[in-house]
Amino acid sequence: MIKYIIRRLVNYVIMLFVAISMTYFLASAFMDPRSNYMSRNPRPPEASIDRSLDLANINDKTPVLVRYFNWLKGIVTEWNWGLSPDQEPVAPAVASRISSSVQLVAISTVLSIIIGVSLGVYTAIRQYKWQDRALNAVSTLFLVTPAAVLGLLIVLGTIAINNATGTRIFYVTGLHSYEGGNIGLAILDFLQHIILPTIVLVCIGYVNYHLTQRTYLLDTMNADYVRTARAKGLTLNQAIRKHALRTSLIPTTTNIAFSIASIFTGAVITETVFAINGLGRYFVTTIQDNDINGAVCIAAFSGVCTLAGALLADILAAWLDPRIRLN
Amino acid sequence: MTEPMNTVAAAPANGEQPVLEVRDLRVNFASEAGTVRAVRGVNFDLYRGKTLGIVGESGSGKSVTSMAIMGLLDKNAHVEGSIKFRGDELLTKNDKEMSVLRGDRIAMVFQDPLSALTPVFSIGEQLKEALVIHNPKMTEEQIVSRSIELLKLVGIPNAEERLKSYPHQFSGGMRQRVVIAMAIANNPDIIICDEPTTALDVTIQAQVLEVLQRAQQETGAAVIFITHDLGVIAGIADDIIVMYAGRPVEKADVDTVFHKPVMPYTMGLLGAVPRPDREKSSRLVPIPGAPMNLVNMPKGCPFAPRCPLATDICRQGEPDLLPVEGREGQLAACHRVKEIVDQNLTFSDIYTVGESVKSKFDGIPREQRQTVLDVKHLKKTFPLTAGGFLRRKIGEVHAVDDVTLDVREGETVALVGESGSGKSTTLLEIMEFRQPESGEISVLGKPIAKRMSREDKRELHSNVQYIFQDPMSSLDPRLPIYDILAEPLKVQGLSKQEINDRIRDLMALVELNPDQVDRFPTQFSGGQRQRIAIARALAVNPKLVLLDEPVSALDVSIQAGVINLLEDLQNKLGVAYLFVAHNLSVIRHISNRIAVMYLGRIVELGSNHDVFEEPLHPYTKALLSAVPVPDPQIERTRQRIVLEGELPSPSESFSGCPFAGRCPMFSTLTKDQQARCLGESPELVAKGGAADHMAACHFA
Amino acid sequence: MSDMATEEKDLGLNQDVATEGTPAAVVVNPVSQGGDAQDLKRTGRMTLYVRRFMRRPSAVFGLVVLCILILFALFGAMVCPWKYDEPDFTALAAAPSADHWLGTTIGGSDMYAMIVRGLGRSLLVGIISSTLIMIISAVLGTAIAFFEGVVEKVGMWILDMLLTIPSFLLVAMIVRSSSGTSGWLWLTIGITAFGWIGYARVIRTLTMSLRELDYIRAAKFMGVGSFRIILRHLVPNLGSVLIINTVLGVVSAVNQETALSFLGLGIKAPDTSLGTLLMNGQSSVLTAPWILLFPSAVLILLTFSVQLIGDGLRDAIDPYSRSAGKAE
Repeated sequence: MIKYIIRRLVNYVIMLFVAISMTYFLASAFMDPRSNYMSRNPRPPEASIDRSLDLANINDKTPVLVRYFNWLKGIVTEWNWGLSPDQEPVAPAVASRISSSVQLVAISTVLSIIIGVSLGVYTAIRQYKWQDRALNAVSTLFLVTPAAVLGLLIVLGTIAINNATGTRIFYVTGLHSYEGGNIGLAILDFLQHIILPTIVLVCIGYVNYHLTQRTYLLDTMNADYVRTARAKGLTLNQAIRKHALRTSLIPTTTNIAFSIASIFTGAVITETVFAINGLGRYFVTTIQDNDINGAVCIAAFSGVCTLAGALLADILAAWLDPRIRLN
Repeated sequence: MTEPMNTVAAAPANGEQPVLEVRDLRVNFASEAGTVRAVRGVNFDLYRGKTLGIVGESGSGKSVTSMAIMGLLDKNAHVEGSIKFRGDELLTKNDKEMSVLRGDRIAMVFQDPLSALTPVFSIGEQLKEALVIHNPKMTEEQIVSRSIELLKLVGIPNAEERLKSYPHQFSGGMRQRVVIAMAIANNPDIIICDEPTTALDVTIQAQVLEVLQRAQQETGAAVIFITHDLGVIAGIADDIIVMYAGRPVEKADVDTVFHKPVMPYTMGLLGAVPRPDREKSSRLVPIPGAPMNLVNMPKGCPFAPRCPLATDICRQGEPDLLPVEGREGQLAACHRVKEIVDQNLTFSDIYTVGESVKSKFDGIPREQRQTVLDVKHLKKTFPLTAGGFLRRKIGEVHAVDDVTLDVREGETVALVGESGSGKSTTLLEIMEFRQPESGEISVLGKPIAKRMSREDKRELHSNVQYIFQDPMSSLDPRLPIYDILAEPLKVQGLSKQEINDRIRDLMALVELNPDQVDRFPTQFSGGQRQRIAIARALAVNPKLVLLDEPVSALDVSIQAGVINLLEDLQNKLGVAYLFVAHNLSVIRHISNRIAVMYLGRIVELGSNHDVFEEPLHPYTKALLSAVPVPDPQIERTRQRIVLEGELPSPSESFSGCPFAGRCPMFSTLTKDQQARCLGESPELVAKGGAADHMAACHFA
Repeated sequence: MSDMATEEKDLGLNQDVATEGTPAAVVVNPVSQGGDAQDLKRTGRMTLYVRRFMRRPSAVFGLVVLCILILFALFGAMVCPWKYDEPDFTALAAAPSADHWLGTTIGGSDMYAMIVRGLGRSLLVGIISSTLIMIISAVLGTAIAFFEGVVEKVGMWILDMLLTIPSFLLVAMIVRSSSGTSGWLWLTIGITAFGWIGYARVIRTLTMSLRELDYIRAAKFMGVGSFRIILRHLVPNLGSVLIINTVLGVVSAVNQETALSFLGLGIKAPDTSLGTLLMNGQSSVLTAPWILLFPSAVLILLTFSVQLIGDGLRDAIDPYSRSAGKAE
């Protein structure tokens, strides 16, 4: 088991290395940090631009391979992921934003899973009844609605509510604004901030769990072994709950593990709409600022998350499914 | 046909009350094409300790009937009539009320043991559930001891340990035993078996049938045994209902049905099956046509379009199932039953037995015919990987282990064996047209070499063709028949005109209407599709056709027609067949030579007569004795050699005879002899009378 | 990345392919085996598909809405006196009126004209990239699966590797540098370049079960060439899945376009798209909500109608499909 995991890890490290390198070359080819300076008014002298770019190891006059090896050397020797065009180290910038993202995403992911899986089970058992049709229609609507539209409409609605009640019930920007020392008020303040982006993320996130869990359960509901269970004397509902549900939750569990990957990039739009300083927003900034090192660092981070999720999914599947389980 | 009197097949004299009374049961399903009338009036009574066999082809409504009794039909099924269990009406009960009876009083064994058990629960948990749901007060100790008792009863060794195992760690036969154990857990009054052995090999089938009979004796339950296999039913049933197009068409005790059937369909069904216990005497007689579509059924007797005796009355109205005059307890649904009984018409009077075509090679002894396929010491191994998670190689499977055989012009060589014996792998290995891992394959004297020119490959393709088991999947559903048949011809580079002409001839050759070449495979019935597959294989005039279970996916009444066609084509064209089948009856009928395979090796090789009449190898003997014969008298009297245990894991390697562990002869041998069996691998050598009758056994 | 976990998910699809296509015609069993009188009532495959599709009110609704939207994108500009790139400086952020039917943006551009233009862009990007994605993934996915062995191993490793980095990041990088006029083209290229990978994986899994089917083996045994087998047997038998995925792919492409443009990384002025309009609307939620509301409504109509069509198609072509439990 351990040996197996190590082998898979080695493979993942190689995969990650190739993928990140590819991202580095793509970023270097398509992003133009020089233009940041060229558009300044007054335009700085070329020598000073070159000096700044050289400091961050993003000067397009240096051959890309040389830059790549410098960059690689920095990571391997000092865990230095490079500087932004403004000479800010990117790795600490990424690290400092992880906490905001986790706060935002953790709550909504848990809620999404609970709501989505429950709805999936609920609708699968009522296949083609009106509850199923209605909930599916709602989920389809959320499935197709762009996150930006959903976020902005909720902001619009909230402002209307705030105006109507004359108080600020919900905040539409940031995660905190309370500065005092009262824990209770601080929590309330946090909730007032987090609730709207959470609603958006849950609306977007639960749909997938709902629709896939419904499919998985419908698949297993017609399985022969459910029929066997009924022949033993279980009622249809008992047989579904005990036999079909358990089996149908296995793929869902691996889906959840996979979703770790999307946690940090899935909230880009939401973070932008609600002005939350998380990883997603940082990513947008790096792109806008032609921050090659920053963008690659983010890509690397989400790559690690993806592969961690994949590994976790495998382990979970093996743990839950005796057919895969090790003897 | 609603009077209860008529429905009694064989009421016991002592006036015992039936446990189950089914009256005028009707089941309809809604479907895309219209209402499917799956069951159209079934009546029967079931008595304790008796076995009622329900026989029919696919779509005859036999399984739907059983599911209706269990209350397990889909929601879109519409059920009418009455099913009474000990006087208690079942059809008005809801799921919850039915669940009290299910598994406790009425139990069921399903067809496919591989999918019948929940993969994520251990055997013990699943058995426990069956017990606890009806006996909530059972203590943990009682449950365990009862579970072990049940597993022992159905013949699972090491029952204590096996309780912790998961279904995937069991073979199909073992899983079916577990399902049976769950079914008898609460000593039910009725056990419904829906094709319980169809998915199993014949030696395993014999074991499972034995377990079922033992279970019936233990519980005294009434059994409903549903099957399409007349051989199995002959041995196990007391009374038989023959179903056709959703209705019983004949009902009687087992001997009467087999020896004095009156309904032409029953006769046809019995006549269409080849017999494993008799040498081939004549052609098989297929029932013409195909089973009725259950949507928009025409009026009249549903069998009328296929019945040689059909007259205008038959096409006017559907006959009721009525007692046959002068026959005790026999009922039949046929307008012409009186004539049949009065004139004592039998199968051969009603159906016309066709003349077979004379073979091109008739009279030429085998030695003088050209060898089309020569296989020498063929080996094929697969790496064995463990589980899905730990994908590492843990061993090798010797799928084909040192197989040597030859096929000559115009003859049929059959490879027989149970699943895992390597018979299909042998065919696929030949068809790969590449140098085998080890050994040599020659076609028409030319060995298959590592590198072959395009021209040589093309020639190989024109000489050797392949026919698959399931015509449903071997024809591309997106292509019309014309394109399907044209494909091998295009490979051979024929011109458009040549292809056109050839396809017309081919359609005629397999007795299909050439005007139908624009249709798609889905528009044909199973038998017709297999004819198309045969036509495709013969399109390029091959010298050798490899057939992998070509009739096992077909209904019995259709099978005979395809077998006849294969015979005729062989005789007309002189093509040789290498035929793989697990059905020994079919093999007995069609083949000239037989190779019996066990764990990748040929254990016996000889002519049809020698292998069936004077089998040498103990495995062959056991195999032959396990084949059910469609004759109740023979079934009752004959002694079966039931093999112990299962096929060993194919990854095991043996220094001696691989069969030694299951060999019934092994225990009769002396210590020294046993040591030889375990230590020395037997060679395939000529034994017995004929020079070409060989067996791989030290003491055969 | 993880074979196992995703394989599990794809299983549903596999079986569909095997059964798919079988029930297309109503088979009435012929009277005689060799029968010339096979007088059967045939229902053509297409007729059946159309009938099944039309039976779903939601699918028909989707089709009607989409047709209206397409007509609107094509000809909507003709009835409007304003052009999307000619702002009316006398009416900045004006509310809807007789003059400007849907109001104007902060810069004075007519919302009606902008939406017509934006809808056209969204449709163009969505349809082109989805079609390209499906072509690329069909060819590569089937080829990877069909050739098995080393090709498959290497191919899968590359696919998994490419999937490691979220495609959204990569697309954003590429599109970032594009100019206003060529923005939509780069967006299409970007979405296509990184969008095919996941689909190729799905199609490879589907092909894996197809390649074990007897008719594929039969073709091999008859000596039919590999390329021919892929094009003649594999791709057509994946056809229904490909069509459905192409339609549903439009939704995700439109969504990606919207997201990128909304972040200011996609289509930029002077060109416009629905996402760009949303970005503009965001800053004036309170003062000029129409800038946000109208493009939002159009976007939802667009994606929802396409999704309904896709679901309808799936039910019509693949009635036994359990692939992805989308609406109803």
